[in-house]
Parts: sequence; C-alpha cells; structure tokens
Amino acid sequence: MSQTHTKPDRGSTYSTPRWVKVSAIIVIVLVLLFVILHLTGNSLGGPGGHTPSIEYWLQQP
Amino acid sequence: MTMTRGLRKFVLTAHVTFAVGWLGAVAGFLALAVAGLTSQDAQMVRAAYLAMELTARFVIVPLSFAPLLTGPVLSLGTPWGLFRHYWILAKLLITILSTIILLVHMQPISYMAGAAAETTLSSADLREPRIQLVVAAGAGLLALLVATALSVYKPRGLTPYGWRKQHEQRTVPPAVDAAT
Repeated sequence: MSQTHTKPDRGSTYSTPRWVKVSAIIVIVLVLLFVILHLTGNSLGGPGGHTPSIEYWLQQP
Repeated sequence: MTMTRGLRKFVLTAHVTFAVGWLGAVAGFLALAVAGLTSQDAQMVRAAYLAMELTARFVIVPLSFAPLLTGPVLSLGTPWGLFRHYWILAKLLITILSTIILLVHMQPISYMAGAAAETTLSSADLREPRIQLVVAAGAGLLALLVATALSVYKPRGLTPYGWRKQHEQRTVPPAVDAAT
C-alpha cells in the first residue's frame, strides 16, 4: 500500500531509474532547442534576449 | 536531524500552501497574459498588463521564494533527505529554475505594464513580447504541475549519494546504530 512510497529503494547494485534518464534527455533537448532558437534570432522575444527585445519593440514606430 | 511530528506538519502545511498558491497565481497570470494578447478591448489590455505586474511582484515572486525555504527544511528534517531521492532533487531544480526564469521575466513584465499605462496598445503593438509572456507563463505552469505530480507520485529512484547512505545504514551493526 502506501508503505511502498515511504520505503527507500533497495537493491545490491546501483542503477539510474528509467524515468530519470528519459527526463534528463527531454530537458537536454529543450535546453538545446532554446539555445539554438536564441542563437539564430528566432526566439519569441526577438533578437538579443529579453530586455533588449522589449526595448527593440518599444522603439518601433 | 529529525523534526518533531508537530513541527513537520506545520512546515509541510506551509510548503503545500506556498507551492499550490504559486501554481494558482501562475495560472491567473497566464489568464491575464492571454487576455492581454488576444483582447480587442484597449481597456482590457491595459488592465491585464497592469494587473500582471502587480500579481508578479507581490504574489508570484514571494510565493516562488517560500518553497525554496520550506522544501529543503522539510526534506532535511525528515528521513527523505534533500539529495537522496531523484524526485526531491528534480523538484528542487524545477523550483530554482522556475524562480530564475520568473526573475528574468520581471523586467519585460514591468516594460509591458509601463507601456500599457502610458499608451493605448493595439493588438499589433509589442506583439512578440506579449507572446513571450504567454509562453513563459504556460511553461512555468507546466513545470509547477510536474513538480506537484512528483510530490504526489514520488517515483522511485535513489541518487548515488542516497544509495551510498542507505548502504552505510544497512551495514551499521544494530547496537552501534542504537547508541548513536
């Protein structure tokens, strides 16, 4: 029952759980996507990051 | 270091309140960001961005820092520990990253509130930063939902540190264990 949630994991050898590996891959992909979008100037905030992009848009006629 | 039952319940209540309050506040912020982006009513757009700045500054930012305090206190005061289980570590990382991203977005939020207060924004004005705020709020809400789900499901998995600590505890003789 709920005991299974409160008992620490047992085992003689250490192994990283699958959900941790999958989550790590998803996070790495998202971070790479974010960095690529920013470097190519296709981010939603416009060129140059957050604050400059806002200033950029504020300066538009 | 283990907390008494009463103290643990108190800190747990505070932690759940702050975390769920943060989630609810971000949901409200997302509704305002969507209204600011999609509404054709200039007064609605102005009200949305002014309300967003107030909500972010006085509700969301304080609520984002509170779980950073209560979470580690709660985990370090119980046998769970802070670095022993992956789900606790994942929650800590989500909370830290969400707080950093929120603080980074405070300046754009202030810019938008200032622009909304000084001029009448049409639906075409400042389009990209307005979309950016909707995306950021949506991503933040998703991250906080994941953190909430982790708290409920508590997926199994010890970190190398947690595994070593558990192994050490199991190898300590009972007499010595009782004496410490």
